[in-house]
Amino acid sequence: MISLIPSEARDLLARAATTFRRIAGMPNYDAYLEHLRAHHPECAAPSEKEYYELYLAGKYAGGGSRCC
Amino acid sequence: MPAIIWILVALTGAAGWSMLALHNGETVNAAWLVLAAVCSYLVAYRFYSRFIATRVVALDDTITTPAHRLANGRDFVPTSRWVLFGHHFAAIAGAGPLVGPVLAAQFGYLPGTIWIVVGVILGGAVQDFVILAGSVRRNGKSLGQMAKDEIGPFTGMLAMIAILAIMVILIAVLTLIVVKALAESPWGVFTILCTIPIALAMGFWMKVIRPGKTMEATIAGVALLLLALVAGRWVAASPTLGPMFTLSAVTISWGLMIYGFVASVPPVWMLLAPRDYLSTFVKSATIVTLGAGILITLPNLQLPAITHFIDGTGPVFAGKLFPFCFITIACGAISGFHSLVSSGTTPKMLDKESDARVIGYGAMLMESFVAVMAICAASILDPGVYFAMNAPLALLGGSAETAAAAVQHWGFTLAPGQMEAVAHAMGETTLLARTGGAPTLAVGMAQIFAGVFGKGLTALWYHFAIMFEALFILTSIDAGTRVGRFMVQELGGHIWKPLGHTSSWFSTIVSSALIVAAWGWFLIQGVTDPLGGINSLWPLFGISNQLLAAVALSVGTTLIIRADRARYAWVTLLPLSWLLAVTSTAAWQKMFSDDPRLGFLSHVTQTAAKVAAGTLDPAKGGRMILNDRIDAALCAMFLLITWAVVVSSARVWVGVGLGTRDTGRGKEAAVPA
Repeated sequence: MISLIPSEARDLLARAATTFRRIAGMPNYDAYLEHLRAHHPECAAPSEKEYYELYLAGKYAGGGSRCC
Repeated sequence: MPAIIWILVALTGAAGWSMLALHNGETVNAAWLVLAAVCSYLVAYRFYSRFIATRVVALDDTITTPAHRLANGRDFVPTSRWVLFGHHFAAIAGAGPLVGPVLAAQFGYLPGTIWIVVGVILGGAVQDFVILAGSVRRNGKSLGQMAKDEIGPFTGMLAMIAILAIMVILIAVLTLIVVKALAESPWGVFTILCTIPIALAMGFWMKVIRPGKTMEATIAGVALLLLALVAGRWVAASPTLGPMFTLSAVTISWGLMIYGFVASVPPVWMLLAPRDYLSTFVKSATIVTLGAGILITLPNLQLPAITHFIDGTGPVFAGKLFPFCFITIACGAISGFHSLVSSGTTPKMLDKESDARVIGYGAMLMESFVAVMAICAASILDPGVYFAMNAPLALLGGSAETAAAAVQHWGFTLAPGQMEAVAHAMGETTLLARTGGAPTLAVGMAQIFAGVFGKGLTALWYHFAIMFEALFILTSIDAGTRVGRFMVQELGGHIWKPLGHTSSWFSTIVSSALIVAAWGWFLIQGVTDPLGGINSLWPLFGISNQLLAAVALSVGTTLIIRADRARYAWVTLLPLSWLLAVTSTAAWQKMFSDDPRLGFLSHVTQTAAKVAAGTLDPAKGGRMILNDRIDAALCAMFLLITWAVVVSSARVWVGVGLGTRDTGRGKEAAVPA
């Protein structure tokens, strides 16, 4: 089913999804793993579930800021 | 770009402005409004924001930003310019820029439009930009921390109390808008109720079933939301379900207070995070569609450029053009709340200092454009319909005939059956006295979308617009109560230790209840107010938001002077002086005006006289008097805090000028590349 979509279109869709994810401030596990590999190679990578909890704790510390 | 192009842009903008200003008496196309605004933004961005970037805040790409220096892969993340622009814009754009302009349309479309465009160029965008640049140089510090460090601990404390008071008024007035839009509307109530189980299901999916898979959950959530929207029509029409979801304003208010309390206690993954994703998605899609709709249909503006209500006799809210046009439209022109975002998540994600120009100044221009679109949406309505929807029931009377007579008395016309026809087209039973701005905006948006997609779906578009506004207001209730709770815990912990333990259940429940009781008080007061509530609460919200802007601009001025660039301090002093004039006049009039519609204290005298004459129930009169006194005290408090912050900042400015205080210049540039 998925393979019916041309790979260029799939790439484009994936790129659009990543962009929206970053604009909406959604978690990005892959980017976090990359950050760990680049900056703290000695640290063990958390599972995606652990990462999600870390992300939420950081984002909503103090309740999170937003506007009217 | 060569100079000739900029001359052309400026001339086109000038042509737009003159079309708007000189065509009084005939209808003007919305295209002129859009053109005037966009050309002004382009010129301001190219010249004024560049001046601020190079001279005033002196952005420097050789200085490493906190996103790189403190990178942790979570909140400190270097983010590309346009992604961060979108992120910042999504965080600053809410219901404010959409509602204020709709209310201010009672003066006609021109005063509001001029303030939105001029205000953003010289005030709002400057504030966002200067605070963002200041926070980036200070490791992403918050506004409160900067006030404390740069001015003094007393000012920091005042800023924090101000933020808490504003939060309470903000939640109350936003909730009031939702209540006014959902009262007696089974379709709207059903759709909004559905957002709660949808968000819970998304939260559960993202946390337990497929941890961290937020995108797929959001797409499924949006699909379910649209399903709930379509099902709402069927529920409203059903003879058994319809009455179950037809709720009075007071019932909905209590429901929202219970929701606010319950929703602010559980962990964020359950409700708040999924709601955030849903509302960001719906918000971005709606704003883009609205912009496209206006550009495709290019409707004519039916409202006059200026109405005679600039003399202060308007039915939507009391008060003259000055200062109340500038209080009613806060977000969209200048919004103090943005300084919290500009010193919150955004500075921690900035890749290069030079990106701060398009993100700080540019995103605010974009928000201003959203406010211009809201003015367009309100102004394409027939003036008779606009005033019949936005005047309170006390002035309109209960029936179509009395409403038509009232509208006629104000100098506009309402044809027999016109309001019923509009209400029917929107799938509602009545739209009389739907104060608060949201329903008016929804009717305007439904008309614009119907112009693009055909008339068959008008009712669906109306309820989509209501759902879109209610969705992110509910998110604000949840998040705002949470933020308020942390503040009560922090401030309260100084007075009584056990309140400061943020992880204890006792402290959580007590402080949440305190916050909900505070905004609930103002909400119930607004809902039961015979003049519609918006009349008293929206100006309070405007004053408080502008007060926060004054605090932010005082901090901004201090940052500029301490960086040894006092000769450019006029950049922030100019909007600061204007805001001080506006907020001080407005707060003074709200307290002491002789007009009982405007002044809280003269309304006390009037109510007391009515009770003494036996025309008003003493218990009800007593409650109204108490409410008025609290509102007046709140105005006084806002005024005092503003001036205290400005005076204590001015002492620092003078001290730096005289050389008795250090400039802090070395501190700022402490971090080399």
